[in-house]
Amino acid sequence: MLIAVDGLTRTYDLGEAKVHALRGVDLAVEAGEYLAIMGPSGSGKSTLMHILGCLDTPSTGRYVLGGEEVSSLTGRELAKVRNRRIGFVFQNFNLLPRIDLVANVALPLVYHGSVSKAERLGRAAKQLEELGLGHRLKHRPNELSGGERQRAAIARALINEPSILLADEPTGNLDSKTGREIMDILDGLSAAGKTVCLVTHDANVAEHAGRTVHMQDGAIAREDFS
Amino acid sequence: MNLLESVGAGLRDMGSNKGRSVITMIGIVLGVASVVAVLSLMQGGQAQTEAYFEELGGLREIRITNQRTNRIFMTAAERASERLTYRDAQAIRFECPSVSYVDPEISRYLTVSYKDKTFQMRVLGTTADYVFADSMPVAEGRFITDRDLDTYANVIMMGPTYRDDLFGDEDWRGKQVLVEGIPFTVVGIMEKKEFYFRGGGGERNVLEWFNRGHYIPITTMIRRFTVDDQLGGLEISAKTVELVPTLMEETRTVLSRRHGVEDFDLASKSEQVQQRAEQEAFFNIIFWVIAFISLFVGGVVIANIMLSSITERIREIGVRKAIGASSRDVFIEFLVEALVVTSVGGAVGLGVGYGLVKLMETALIMPMAFSPSILVLAFLTSVAVGIIFGMFPALRAARLDPVEALRYQ
Ligand SMILES: Nc1ncnc2c1ncn2[C@@H]1O[C@H](COP(=O)(O)OP(=O)(O)O)[C@@H](O)[C@H]1O
Ligand SMILES: [Mg+2]
Repeated sequence: MLIAVDGLTRTYDLGEAKVHALRGVDLAVEAGEYLAIMGPSGSGKSTLMHILGCLDTPSTGRYVLGGEEVSSLTGRELAKVRNRRIGFVFQNFNLLPRIDLVANVALPLVYHGSVSKAERLGRAAKQLEELGLGHRLKHRPNELSGGERQRAAIARALINEPSILLADEPTGNLDSKTGREIMDILDGLSAAGKTVCLVTHDANVAEHAGRTVHMQDGAIAREDFS
Repeated sequence: MNLLESVGAGLRDMGSNKGRSVITMIGIVLGVASVVAVLSLMQGGQAQTEAYFEELGGLREIRITNQRTNRIFMTAAERASERLTYRDAQAIRFECPSVSYVDPEISRYLTVSYKDKTFQMRVLGTTADYVFADSMPVAEGRFITDRDLDTYANVIMMGPTYRDDLFGDEDWRGKQVLVEGIPFTVVGIMEKKEFYFRGGGGERNVLEWFNRGHYIPITTMIRRFTVDDQLGGLEISAKTVELVPTLMEETRTVLSRRHGVEDFDLASKSEQVQQRAEQEAFFNIIFWVIAFISLFVGGVVIANIMLSSITERIREIGVRKAIGASSRDVFIEFLVEALVVTSVGGAVGLGVGYGLVKLMETALIMPMAFSPSILVLAFLTSVAVGIIFGMFPALRAARLDPVEALRYQ
């Protein structure tokens, strides 16, 4: 079992009101699984992804990642988990605008600490080439199309060889043709054995996954296998 | 990320935000430049004061003067006292163990003539110690000797300024001049004494006074030209600087016994140096205030610009954290960035400060000193400003919650 979450809740305390973004989520993900999370807007998909990605911590409940109890880690240890074991892909790419693609993709290796600069740039360039961006290494993100940016973001997520790739609506900002290109890449990664977990609104996108989890009001409503 | 790379990233960041960086740096540049100016002004002032007193015979000297009291208010003992006399000087010389030189002086304006030239000139009756006590070097010939004093010799030592007036191109050696009609043999010429005080918008030789005097044995002066042996001035010097207080006590004892009353004042040179240093310290406070204000303003500007750049970069911080930057990584990155800006500003400030020092030296004629320690100290202040004012923004950046930061529009 790669991921096991148990009774996960996340409550935002807004003073007068309390927002229950997650109301007790139980979920298990096997290594190598291809999982889609669907659900209406505001149902808690992103909140769950943030917790799975160690960007956020649950209010209550347990989260075990690769056999390690994550809920008890310190901020610095969580940063290390994000750096080495998780690759996160965002809807809006989130590349740094002032540095070129190689530098963007190499950034996780910078925080990894023990990789020399030459090796970092070499590995980043290779990763970009594998995703068909070999001709764009020295370009800044704003010089690229949305699809190219998302491919660069995937390259960045993969650079540290994480055990799981988390993608929150990776095709949400792309037209359908470009969206299909991105899904081809995720399919390829899954076929190569990578654990992939993605959030989507689009049933056609969810079809690519082996299992789909449907969320409703901060809880899992049902699961489909295909 | 290692430190060198953070510095590189900081420099690149500065380059890509030139306008912002220039504004940020102005305060630091001015602050560091004024620190350089203050420090070199202080060092220069101190060096000048010390050099001046050194030129006047060093810090071992004590000046003894008659107390100025209106005759009407004098006590009987004060009226009976002969005031400071040549005999007092002799008594100090023989009775005070801590004394090295005794330099009594009686000066008179006398008619000095050579051939058809006649001048009214200041003539100083003094002793052999004068050259040592006031560190007055002899240029040619010799000064007055103890033998001259003992024999009431009619010898004269001339100041450099009037030498040309009297002798023109002629050799002074073996010549006689008439002082109030009495022939005196010229035995030597004093060296020209110079000290240029910088400040107050000009330079002048404050010691020119010394160049306009002539010297004869004080015993001759008393016998020929004065009615008594009352002194115009009396300076003595201790064997060492440490012995100055001892010598003051010894002198006080000897003179009080001889006068029957304490109708004299003792003042040591080191007290005068102290007073002068205090005056200068006060003057320097103004510059310290300027330096402090510019550094403070520079620091506040840096803090503000960094805070606003953090707002611009909240999403960036979120991204960095999402891909593995710890709070500590973010803190260090932002602090290093602040340090890069202040250090570059500091380096420019050193250059500007050097220019300022040169300007004050030439245009305002201020005494300035410049040393590597000044550069190091001033540069360190810019680094300190970077750390102090970069700390708060860096902490703010480090503490951002990654999810909040990523959500920020
Ligand atoms: N920082 C926050 N403060 C308060 N409420 C929040 C915050 N983040 C998310 N929520 C709320 O939590 C719920 C779930 O949000 P989210 O996980 O983003 O939903 P989804 O991604 O499924 O659209 C929503 O009602 C949202 O308004
Ligand atoms: Mg969402």
